[in-house]
Amino acid sequence: MEKLAMKWVLDIGTDAISESYYCATRDVFQARLDNLLNDLLIIGKIDEGVAYLVSAIAGEIGNNSFDHNIGNWPSVPGVFFDWRANDGIEIVLADRGRGIMQTLKKVRPEIKNDQEAFRVAFFEKISGRAPEARGNGLKFVRESVKDQKIHLSFISGDAVAELNDDFNVGLAEQKINGCLAIIKI
Amino acid sequence: MKIELKKFGEMLISRPAGREAYLAMLAYLIKGVSRDEIIEIDFGGVKVLTPSWADEVITKLAAEFKNIKLLNTQNSTVAATLRTLIKYSDLKI
Repeated sequence: MEKLAMKWVLDIGTDAISESYYCATRDVFQARLDNLLNDLLIIGKIDEGVAYLVSAIAGEIGNNSFDHNIGNWPSVPGVFFDWRANDGIEIVLADRGRGIMQTLKKVRPEIKNDQEAFRVAFFEKISGRAPEARGNGLKFVRESVKDQKIHLSFISGDAVAELNDDFNVGLAEQKINGCLAIIKI
Repeated sequence: MKIELKKFGEMLISRPAGREAYLAMLAYLIKGVSRDEIIEIDFGGVKVLTPSWADEVITKLAAEFKNIKLLNTQNSTVAATLRTLIKYSDLKI
């Protein structure tokens, strides 16, 4: 699933991607998010409260894709969104949007690279859509991941952040233009 | 007066949905209500709340009214969202 999402983000032979993964609009994403919560509750591998938080984390990441790229998608609009439950639960979200750094550069032009953009996005009170007062989503994601012992890998541009108890950011193996998030519980 | 958020849905996720909810509140629930009135925001029945939705509703209600009371905030996402808004969105309740 991770490889398929990466291929889709990189636009490598996945034009005919299954509608079961692809959410072209926010309405479709919302409906699939409802399904995710139902699945998490049915699967029963995690507590009800954690299932709600995981849905909120996925909701924030997916809605960010729409909030920050609306009317400005570089290529295909929408998000890749799917999940699997095997030994653990894995949830993958991806978009072909402008990515974290390009979004934040509008309000913080001094940001030099993707890794610096990550630190701003996950820690600082700032909005990529200033002057609107907004931009809490990734701070909420970081703190919820830490509280619930979840693992999140987040790639945008040439940076990758690994979030759990810690927050570590480094160079990604593969540069992407949008965002790719992998949640593991 | 009491605002029951479950009437806007069990999953309160996106900013556009939050903005729509707040506009509906302005038109039908809090229109003409005194700034000094006690406003009870009841989270009972809400399963998933995110900072995006809440920032469009809770933060704005708190800015509009002096006496906000929060009810039934035990849900994990409600508690985490309120912490985030207080820390990063200057929510003062």
